Amino acid sequence: MRNFRSSRWVFLGVVLLISFGLITASQLGVLGPLRGIAAAPLNLLTGIFNRIGLALTSGGEGLADLATLQRRNADLEEALARFQSELVELREIASDYTRLSQLLDYTSNTRDQEFIAAEVIALSDPNAPLRTIVINRGGRDGLAVGMPVVTGQGLVGRILNITANASRVLLVSDPSSAISARLQTSRVEGSVIGQAGGDLLMTFIPLDAQVQEGDLVITSGLGGNLPSDIVIGQVTSVRQLEFELFQQAVVRSLNNFDTLEIVLVVTNFQPVDLSVFEQATTGN
Amino acid sequence: MSNFLSVPLLALAAALQVSLAPYISILGGTPDLVLLLVVAWSLNVPLEQGILWAVIGGLCKDLLSAAPLGTSNIGMVLLLSFVSLVRQQLYSVGVFTLVWVIMLGTVMQFGTTLLILFTSGFQPAFGSQLGYNVVFLEISTILLPTIVYNLIGIFPMYWLVRRLQRTSNRPRRLS
Repeated sequence: MRNFRSSRWVFLGVVLLISFGLITASQLGVLGPLRGIAAAPLNLLTGIFNRIGLALTSGGEGLADLATLQRRNADLEEALARFQSELVELREIASDYTRLSQLLDYTSNTRDQEFIAAEVIALSDPNAPLRTIVINRGGRDGLAVGMPVVTGQGLVGRILNITANASRVLLVSDPSSAISARLQTSRVEGSVIGQAGGDLLMTFIPLDAQVQEGDLVITSGLGGNLPSDIVIGQVTSVRQLEFELFQQAVVRSLNNFDTLEIVLVVTNFQPVDLSVFEQATTGN
Repeated sequence: MSNFLSVPLLALAAALQVSLAPYISILGGTPDLVLLLVVAWSLNVPLEQGILWAVIGGLCKDLLSAAPLGTSNIGMVLLLSFVSLVRQQLYSVGVFTLVWVIMLGTVMQFGTTLLILFTSGFQPAFGSQLGYNVVFLEISTILLPTIVYNLIGIFPMYWLVRRLQRTSNRPRRLS
Protein backbone atom coordinates (compact mmCIF):
# COMPACT_ATOMS: atom_id res chain seq x y z
CA MET A 1 0.00 0.00 0.00
CA ARG A 2 2.81 2.36 0.99
CA ASN A 3 4.70 1.47 -2.23
CA PHE A 4 1.56 2.21 -4.25
CA ARG A 5 1.18 5.63 -2.62
CA SER A 6 4.86 6.50 -2.97
CA SER A 7 4.81 5.49 -6.65
CA ARG A 8 1.85 7.89 -7.10
CA TRP A 9 3.88 10.76 -5.66
CA VAL A 10 6.86 9.84 -7.85
CA PHE A 11 4.54 9.93 -10.89
CA LEU A 12 3.21 13.32 -9.78
CA GLY A 13 6.74 14.66 -9.28
CA VAL A 14 7.79 13.46 -12.73
CA VAL A 15 4.76 15.17 -14.33
CA LEU A 16 5.50 18.47 -12.55
CA LEU A 17 9.18 18.19 -13.49
CA ILE A 18 8.25 17.63 -17.16
CA SER A 19 5.86 20.63 -17.02
CA PHE A 20 8.57 22.93 -15.64
CA GLY A 21 10.98 21.53 -18.24
CA LEU A 22 8.49 22.40 -21.00
CA ILE A 23 8.11 25.93 -19.63
CA THR A 24 11.90 26.43 -19.56
CA ALA A 25 12.28 24.97 -23.06
CA SER A 26 9.50 27.27 -24.32
CA GLN A 27 11.24 30.26 -22.79
CA LEU A 28 14.52 29.30 -24.48
CA GLY A 29 12.69 28.97 -27.83
CA VAL A 30 13.68 25.32 -28.27
CA LEU A 31 10.06 24.21 -28.82
CA GLY A 32 9.27 26.81 -31.51
CA PRO A 33 9.02 24.53 -34.60
CA LEU A 34 7.41 21.68 -32.62
CA ARG A 35 4.83 24.05 -31.17
CA GLY A 36 3.98 25.33 -34.65
CA ILE A 37 3.37 21.79 -35.93
CA ALA A 38 1.32 20.77 -32.86
CA ALA A 39 -0.77 23.96 -32.97
CA ALA A 40 -1.62 23.62 -36.70
CA PRO A 41 -4.65 21.26 -36.29
CA LEU A 42 -5.88 23.26 -33.27
CA ASN A 43 -5.60 26.51 -35.27
CA LEU A 44 -7.58 24.89 -38.10
CA LEU A 45 -10.31 23.84 -35.64
CA THR A 46 -10.32 27.30 -34.04
CA GLY A 47 -10.61 28.97 -37.45
CA ILE A 48 -13.70 26.87 -38.29
CA PHE A 49 -15.38 27.66 -34.92
CA ASN A 50 -14.47 31.32 -35.30
CA ARG A 51 -16.20 31.51 -38.69
CA ILE A 52 -19.27 29.78 -37.23
CA GLY A 53 -19.30 32.25 -34.32
CA LEU A 54 -19.03 35.26 -36.63
CA ALA A 55 -21.81 33.92 -38.88
CA LEU A 56 -24.10 33.20 -35.90
CA THR A 57 -23.56 36.56 -34.20
CA SER A 58 -23.94 38.63 -37.39
CA GLY A 59 -27.02 36.64 -38.51
CA GLY A 60 -28.66 36.75 -35.08
CA GLU A 61 -28.14 40.46 -34.61
CA GLY A 62 -29.47 41.24 -38.10
CA LEU A 63 -32.70 39.36 -37.55
CA ALA A 64 -33.18 40.56 -34.00
CA ASP A 65 -32.85 44.25 -34.63
CA LEU A 66 -33.80 45.20 -38.17
CA ALA A 67 -35.10 48.63 -37.18
CA THR A 68 -31.83 49.53 -35.45
CA LEU A 69 -29.91 48.43 -38.53
CA GLN A 70 -32.04 50.60 -40.81
CA ARG A 71 -31.53 53.62 -38.55
CA ARG A 72 -27.82 52.89 -38.35
CA ASN A 73 -27.66 52.56 -42.13
CA ALA A 74 -29.23 56.03 -42.53
CA ASP A 75 -26.77 57.48 -40.00
CA LEU A 76 -23.85 55.85 -41.79
CA GLU A 77 -24.98 57.18 -45.19
CA GLU A 78 -25.15 60.66 -43.73
CA ALA A 79 -21.71 60.24 -42.18
CA LEU A 80 -20.35 58.91 -45.48
CA ALA A 81 -21.57 62.00 -47.35
CA ARG A 82 -19.92 64.22 -44.73
CA PHE A 83 -16.67 62.26 -44.82
CA GLN A 84 -16.57 62.33 -48.62
CA SER A 85 -16.62 66.13 -48.60
CA GLU A 86 -13.96 66.10 -45.89
CA LEU A 87 -11.95 63.63 -47.98
CA VAL A 88 -11.87 66.03 -50.94
CA GLU A 89 -10.67 68.79 -48.61
CA LEU A 90 -8.03 66.53 -47.06
CA ARG A 91 -6.80 65.43 -50.50
CA GLU A 92 -6.18 69.08 -51.34
CA ILE A 93 -4.22 69.48 -48.10
CA ALA A 94 -2.33 66.25 -48.84
CA SER A 95 -1.28 67.46 -52.30
CA ASP A 96 -0.07 70.73 -50.74
CA TYR A 97 1.84 68.70 -48.16
CA THR A 98 3.47 66.55 -50.87
CA ARG A 99 4.71 69.59 -52.74
CA LEU A 100 6.13 71.13 -49.56
CA SER A 101 7.73 67.84 -48.53
CA GLN A 102 9.46 67.54 -51.91
CA LEU A 103 10.79 71.06 -51.48
CA LEU A 104 12.23 70.15 -48.10
CA ASP A 105 13.51 66.80 -49.43
CA TYR A 106 11.59 65.08 -46.70
CA THR A 107 9.75 61.81 -47.12
CA SER A 108 7.13 60.72 -44.69
CA ASN A 109 7.60 57.22 -43.33
CA THR A 110 3.93 56.38 -43.54
CA ARG A 111 3.85 56.89 -47.30
CA ASP A 112 6.44 54.18 -47.75
CA GLN A 113 4.61 51.60 -45.71
CA GLU A 114 4.04 48.16 -47.25
CA PHE A 115 1.27 45.92 -46.00
CA ILE A 116 0.28 42.26 -46.01
CA ALA A 117 -3.39 41.48 -45.37
CA ALA A 118 -4.07 38.63 -42.94
CA GLU A 119 -7.16 36.82 -41.66
CA VAL A 120 -7.77 36.54 -37.92
CA ILE A 121 -8.09 32.83 -37.06
CA ALA A 122 -8.28 33.03 -33.25
CA LEU A 123 -9.52 35.83 -31.02
CA SER A 124 -8.33 36.73 -27.56
CA ASP A 125 -9.45 34.35 -24.80
CA PRO A 126 -11.11 36.53 -22.11
CA ASN A 127 -9.87 34.11 -19.41
CA ALA A 128 -6.22 34.45 -20.42
CA PRO A 129 -4.05 37.04 -18.69
CA LEU A 130 -2.55 37.98 -22.09
CA ARG A 131 -4.71 39.54 -24.79
CA THR A 132 -3.61 38.21 -28.15
CA ILE A 133 -5.04 37.21 -31.52
CA VAL A 134 -3.71 34.74 -34.08
CA ILE A 135 -3.45 35.60 -37.81
CA ASN A 136 -2.98 33.22 -40.74
CA ARG A 137 0.33 34.69 -41.97
CA GLY A 138 3.74 33.79 -40.59
CA GLY A 139 7.45 33.55 -41.27
CA ARG A 140 6.80 32.03 -44.69
CA ASP A 141 5.09 35.29 -45.72
CA GLY A 142 8.01 37.43 -44.55
CA LEU A 143 6.55 38.45 -41.19
CA ALA A 144 8.85 39.02 -38.20
CA VAL A 145 8.48 39.58 -34.46
CA GLY A 146 7.76 43.24 -33.60
CA MET A 147 5.99 44.18 -36.86
CA PRO A 148 3.02 46.52 -36.29
CA VAL A 149 -0.50 45.24 -37.05
CA VAL A 150 -3.21 47.74 -38.06
CA THR A 151 -6.68 48.05 -39.56
CA GLY A 152 -8.38 50.99 -41.26
CA GLN A 153 -9.52 52.04 -37.76
CA GLY A 154 -6.00 52.17 -36.35
CA LEU A 155 -3.41 50.21 -34.41
CA VAL A 156 -4.21 46.62 -33.36
CA GLY A 157 -0.89 45.56 -31.81
CA ARG A 158 2.51 44.07 -32.50
CA ILE A 159 3.59 40.57 -33.55
CA LEU A 160 4.65 38.66 -30.44
CA ASN A 161 5.74 35.34 -31.93
CA ILE A 162 5.51 33.55 -35.27
CA THR A 163 5.38 30.11 -36.80
CA ALA A 164 5.74 29.26 -40.48
CA ASN A 165 2.11 29.94 -41.34
CA ALA A 166 0.65 31.85 -38.37
CA SER A 167 1.55 34.70 -36.02
CA ARG A 168 0.39 35.74 -32.57
CA VAL A 169 -0.31 39.45 -32.12
CA LEU A 170 -0.13 41.15 -28.71
CA LEU A 171 -3.09 43.58 -28.65
CA VAL A 172 -2.62 47.21 -27.57
CA SER A 173 -5.27 46.53 -24.91
CA ASP A 174 -3.03 43.99 -23.13
CA PRO A 175 -1.80 45.23 -19.72
CA SER A 176 1.82 44.48 -20.70
CA SER A 177 1.57 46.72 -23.80
CA ALA A 178 2.96 50.27 -23.57
CA ILE A 179 3.09 52.61 -26.57
CA SER A 180 4.61 56.08 -26.94
CA ALA A 181 1.75 58.30 -28.09
CA ARG A 182 0.75 61.88 -28.72
CA LEU A 183 -2.50 63.80 -28.95
CA GLN A 184 -3.10 64.76 -32.56
CA THR A 185 -4.37 68.30 -31.95
CA SER A 186 -2.20 69.54 -29.06
CA ARG A 187 0.89 67.36 -29.95
CA VAL A 188 1.27 66.48 -26.24
CA GLU A 189 3.29 63.30 -25.60
CA GLY A 190 2.34 60.44 -23.29
CA SER A 191 2.23 56.66 -23.01
CA VAL A 192 -0.76 54.47 -23.80
CA ILE A 193 -1.01 51.28 -21.74
CA GLY A 194 -3.56 48.49 -21.89
CA GLN A 195 -6.04 47.91 -19.10
CA ALA A 196 -7.35 44.61 -17.74
CA GLY A 197 -10.89 45.63 -18.71
CA GLY A 198 -9.92 46.11 -22.38
CA ASP A 199 -9.75 49.93 -22.38
CA LEU A 200 -6.60 51.98 -22.91
CA LEU A 201 -5.11 54.55 -20.57
CA MET A 202 -2.90 57.43 -21.70
CA THR A 203 -0.54 58.40 -18.86
CA PHE A 204 2.30 60.86 -18.28
CA ILE A 205 0.35 63.77 -19.81
CA PRO A 206 1.64 67.07 -18.31
CA LEU A 207 -0.85 68.78 -15.97
CA ASP A 208 -0.87 71.99 -18.01
CA ALA A 209 -1.72 70.20 -21.29
CA GLN A 210 -5.17 70.73 -22.78
CA VAL A 211 -6.86 67.36 -23.25
CA GLN A 212 -10.43 67.16 -24.48
CA GLU A 213 -12.89 64.34 -24.99
CA GLY A 214 -12.83 63.25 -28.62
CA ASP A 215 -9.13 64.08 -29.16
CA LEU A 216 -7.43 61.55 -31.43
CA VAL A 217 -4.44 59.69 -29.95
CA ILE A 218 -1.72 58.63 -32.43
CA THR A 219 1.64 56.85 -32.16
CA SER A 220 4.57 59.22 -31.69
CA GLY A 221 7.28 56.89 -32.99
CA LEU A 222 9.42 57.60 -29.91
CA GLY A 223 11.33 54.53 -28.71
CA GLY A 224 11.59 53.09 -32.22
CA ASN A 225 9.08 50.28 -31.66
CA LEU A 226 6.34 51.62 -33.94
CA PRO A 227 6.06 54.03 -36.87
CA SER A 228 4.60 57.45 -36.07
CA ASP A 229 1.09 58.77 -36.82
CA ILE A 230 -0.91 55.54 -36.56
CA VAL A 231 -4.26 56.15 -34.87
CA ILE A 232 -4.52 54.40 -31.48
CA GLY A 233 -7.95 55.65 -30.38
CA GLN A 234 -10.03 58.53 -29.11
CA VAL A 235 -10.07 60.17 -25.67
CA THR A 236 -13.33 59.38 -23.86
CA SER A 237 -12.60 60.95 -20.46
CA VAL A 238 -9.84 62.83 -18.65
CA ARG A 239 -8.65 62.34 -15.04
CA GLN A 240 -6.87 65.26 -13.41
CA LEU A 241 -6.09 64.90 -9.71
CA GLU A 242 -4.42 67.76 -7.78
CA PHE A 243 -1.99 65.52 -5.91
CA GLU A 244 -0.66 63.75 -9.01
CA LEU A 245 2.22 64.90 -11.21
CA PHE A 246 0.51 63.96 -14.47
CA GLN A 247 -3.01 63.72 -15.79
CA GLN A 248 -4.47 60.60 -17.40
CA ALA A 249 -6.91 60.08 -20.23
CA VAL A 250 -9.07 57.03 -20.89
CA VAL A 251 -8.74 56.14 -24.56
CA ARG A 252 -11.08 53.94 -26.56
CA SER A 253 -9.67 52.15 -29.58
CA LEU A 254 -11.74 52.51 -32.75
CA ASN A 255 -11.16 48.78 -33.31
CA ASN A 256 -13.45 46.20 -31.73
CA PHE A 257 -10.90 43.52 -30.79
CA ASP A 258 -13.61 40.88 -30.27
CA THR A 259 -14.81 41.00 -33.89
CA LEU A 260 -11.61 41.50 -35.89
CA GLU A 261 -11.64 39.61 -39.18
CA ILE A 262 -8.98 41.10 -41.45
CA VAL A 263 -5.87 43.02 -40.36
CA LEU A 264 -2.86 44.54 -42.12
CA VAL A 265 0.74 43.86 -41.11
CA VAL A 266 3.26 46.64 -41.82
CA THR A 267 6.07 44.59 -43.32
CA ASN A 268 8.74 47.19 -44.06
CA PHE A 269 9.02 48.63 -40.55
CA GLN A 270 12.04 47.45 -38.57
CA PRO A 271 11.81 48.10 -34.79
CA VAL A 272 14.91 49.91 -33.44
CA ASP A 273 16.56 48.56 -30.29
CA LEU A 274 17.49 51.71 -28.32
CA SER A 275 18.76 49.70 -25.34
CA VAL A 276 22.16 49.55 -27.12
CA PHE A 277 22.60 53.31 -26.47
CA GLU A 278 21.53 52.91 -22.84
CA GLN A 279 24.16 50.18 -22.34
CA ALA A 280 26.79 52.36 -24.02
CA THR A 281 25.94 55.27 -21.69
CA THR A 282 26.08 52.99 -18.63
CA GLY A 283 29.41 51.58 -19.81
CA ASN A 284 30.91 55.05 -20.05
CA MET B 1 -10.90 3.84 -24.06
CA SER B 2 -11.07 6.82 -21.67
CA ASN B 3 -7.50 7.83 -22.47
CA PHE B 4 -8.20 7.76 -26.21
CA LEU B 5 -11.16 10.09 -25.69
CA SER B 6 -9.01 12.68 -23.92
CA VAL B 7 -7.19 14.16 -26.95
CA PRO B 8 -10.23 14.89 -29.20
CA LEU B 9 -12.45 16.03 -26.31
CA LEU B 10 -9.87 18.35 -24.77
CA ALA B 11 -8.76 19.73 -28.18
CA LEU B 12 -12.41 20.45 -28.96
CA ALA B 13 -12.91 22.16 -25.59
CA ALA B 14 -9.76 24.29 -26.02
CA ALA B 15 -10.73 25.33 -29.58
CA LEU B 16 -14.29 26.19 -28.44
CA GLN B 17 -12.82 28.13 -25.51
CA VAL B 18 -10.72 30.34 -27.79
CA SER B 19 -13.13 30.79 -30.70
CA LEU B 20 -16.71 30.79 -29.41
CA ALA B 21 -16.32 31.78 -25.75
CA PRO B 22 -15.50 35.47 -26.52
CA TYR B 23 -18.94 35.82 -28.16
CA ILE B 24 -20.76 34.76 -24.98
CA SER B 25 -18.48 36.74 -22.66
CA ILE B 26 -20.33 38.87 -20.08
CA LEU B 27 -18.34 41.21 -17.79
CA GLY B 28 -15.06 39.82 -19.13
CA GLY B 29 -15.56 36.21 -18.03
CA THR B 30 -16.41 32.94 -19.74
CA PRO B 31 -16.49 29.33 -18.51
CA ASP B 32 -13.07 27.62 -18.64
CA LEU B 33 -14.21 24.59 -20.67
CA VAL B 34 -10.89 22.70 -20.41
CA LEU B 35 -10.75 23.05 -16.61
CA LEU B 36 -14.44 22.04 -16.31
CA LEU B 37 -13.86 18.95 -18.45
CA VAL B 38 -10.68 17.91 -16.60
CA VAL B 39 -12.27 18.37 -13.15
CA ALA B 40 -15.53 16.62 -14.09
CA TRP B 41 -13.65 13.68 -15.62
CA SER B 42 -11.08 13.30 -12.85
CA LEU B 43 -13.49 13.13 -9.91
CA ASN B 44 -14.41 9.50 -10.67
CA VAL B 45 -11.21 8.05 -12.13
CA PRO B 46 -7.79 7.11 -10.68
CA LEU B 47 -5.36 10.00 -10.05
CA GLU B 48 -3.01 8.88 -12.85
CA GLN B 49 -5.76 9.10 -15.47
CA GLY B 50 -6.88 12.48 -14.12
CA ILE B 51 -3.33 13.82 -14.36
CA LEU B 52 -3.05 12.56 -17.95
CA TRP B 53 -6.22 14.52 -18.80
CA ALA B 54 -4.84 17.60 -17.01
CA VAL B 55 -1.56 17.45 -18.95
CA ILE B 56 -3.26 17.01 -22.35
CA GLY B 57 -5.83 19.72 -21.53
CA GLY B 58 -3.11 22.11 -20.34
CA LEU B 59 -1.03 21.54 -23.48
CA CYS B 60 -4.08 22.18 -25.73
CA LYS B 61 -4.77 25.46 -23.87
CA ASP B 62 -1.14 26.60 -24.04
CA LEU B 63 -0.85 25.77 -27.75
CA LEU B 64 -3.69 28.22 -28.38
CA SER B 65 -2.32 30.98 -26.14
CA ALA B 66 0.90 32.98 -25.84
CA ALA B 67 1.80 31.27 -22.55
CA PRO B 68 4.85 28.95 -22.47
CA LEU B 69 3.96 25.25 -23.00
CA GLY B 70 3.25 23.55 -19.66
CA THR B 71 1.95 26.67 -17.88
CA SER B 72 -1.67 25.51 -17.59
CA ASN B 73 -0.64 21.98 -16.52
CA ILE B 74 0.78 23.03 -13.16
CA GLY B 75 -2.41 24.42 -11.58
CA MET B 76 -4.58 21.50 -12.73
CA VAL B 77 -2.07 18.81 -11.68
CA LEU B 78 -1.68 20.38 -8.21
CA LEU B 79 -5.47 20.64 -7.86
CA LEU B 80 -6.03 16.98 -8.79
CA SER B 81 -3.34 15.85 -6.34
CA PHE B 82 -4.99 17.83 -3.53
CA VAL B 83 -8.43 16.50 -4.48
CA SER B 84 -7.02 12.96 -4.53
CA LEU B 85 -5.77 13.39 -0.95
CA VAL B 86 -9.11 14.77 0.27
CA ARG B 87 -11.23 12.35 -1.76
CA GLN B 88 -10.25 9.43 0.45
CA GLN B 89 -12.40 11.05 3.17
CA LEU B 90 -15.46 11.40 0.89
CA TYR B 91 -18.19 8.82 0.45
CA SER B 92 -19.37 10.16 -2.95
CA VAL B 93 -19.16 13.24 -5.17
CA GLY B 94 -21.97 15.66 -4.29
CA VAL B 95 -23.00 19.22 -5.03
CA PHE B 96 -20.75 20.63 -2.29
CA THR B 97 -17.71 18.73 -3.62
CA LEU B 98 -18.28 20.05 -7.14
CA VAL B 99 -18.61 23.63 -5.82
CA TRP B 100 -15.42 23.71 -3.74
CA VAL B 101 -13.32 21.76 -6.24
CA ILE B 102 -14.21 24.04 -9.16
CA MET B 103 -13.76 27.22 -7.07
CA LEU B 104 -10.37 26.04 -5.82
CA GLY B 105 -9.42 24.86 -9.32
CA THR B 106 -10.26 28.21 -10.92
CA VAL B 107 -8.22 30.13 -8.34
CA MET B 108 -5.25 27.70 -8.54
CA GLN B 109 -5.28 27.71 -12.35
CA PHE B 110 -5.45 31.53 -12.47
CA GLY B 111 -2.83 32.02 -9.73
CA THR B 112 -0.25 29.58 -11.12
CA THR B 113 -0.69 30.88 -14.68
CA LEU B 114 -0.26 34.50 -13.56
CA LEU B 115 2.74 33.58 -11.40
CA ILE B 116 4.47 31.66 -14.21
CA LEU B 117 3.77 34.45 -16.72
CA PHE B 118 5.15 37.10 -14.36
CA THR B 119 8.28 35.06 -13.60
CA SER B 120 8.71 34.41 -17.35
CA GLY B 121 9.00 38.12 -18.07
CA PHE B 122 5.42 39.08 -19.09
CA GLN B 123 5.21 41.92 -16.57
CA PRO B 124 3.04 45.04 -16.49
CA ALA B 125 4.71 47.98 -18.19
CA PHE B 126 5.27 50.58 -15.48
CA GLY B 127 6.50 50.06 -11.93
CA SER B 128 5.30 47.98 -9.05
CA GLN B 129 2.44 50.29 -8.04
CA LEU B 130 0.73 49.92 -11.40
CA GLY B 131 1.67 46.22 -11.38
CA TYR B 132 -0.38 45.55 -8.23
CA ASN B 133 -3.18 47.59 -9.76
CA VAL B 134 -3.14 45.36 -12.86
CA VAL B 135 -3.23 42.20 -10.71
CA PHE B 136 -6.21 43.59 -8.77
CA LEU B 137 -7.97 44.45 -12.05
CA GLU B 138 -7.22 40.98 -13.43
CA ILE B 139 -8.81 39.45 -10.33
CA SER B 140 -11.93 41.64 -10.42
CA THR B 141 -12.50 41.56 -14.19
CA ILE B 142 -11.40 38.02 -15.08
CA LEU B 143 -11.13 35.72 -12.05
CA LEU B 144 -14.42 36.56 -10.28
CA PRO B 145 -16.68 36.33 -13.40
CA THR B 146 -14.86 33.10 -14.41
CA ILE B 147 -15.55 31.56 -10.98
CA VAL B 148 -19.26 32.36 -11.39
CA TYR B 149 -19.34 30.89 -14.91
CA ASN B 150 -17.43 27.77 -13.83
CA LEU B 151 -19.80 27.27 -10.87
CA ILE B 152 -22.73 27.35 -13.29
CA GLY B 153 -20.95 25.24 -15.91
CA ILE B 154 -19.64 22.42 -13.72
CA PHE B 155 -23.09 20.86 -13.12
CA PRO B 156 -24.09 20.25 -16.78
CA MET B 157 -20.47 19.31 -17.60
CA TYR B 158 -20.37 16.74 -14.74
CA TRP B 159 -23.70 15.27 -15.85
CA LEU B 160 -22.46 14.95 -19.45
CA VAL B 161 -19.11 13.48 -18.40
CA ARG B 162 -20.75 10.88 -16.09
CA ARG B 163 -22.98 9.72 -18.97
CA LEU B 164 -19.94 9.50 -21.24
CA GLN B 165 -17.92 7.60 -18.62
CA ARG B 166 -20.74 5.11 -18.06
CA THR B 167 -21.12 4.58 -21.82
CA SER B 168 -17.39 4.16 -22.43
CA ASN B 169 -16.94 1.79 -19.47
CA ARG B 170 -19.98 -0.40 -20.28
CA PRO B 171 -18.84 -3.97 -21.10
CA ARG B 172 -19.55 -4.94 -24.70
CA ARG B 173 -21.49 -8.12 -25.41
CA LEU B 174 -19.88 -10.47 -27.93
CA SER B 175 -22.25 -11.67 -30.65
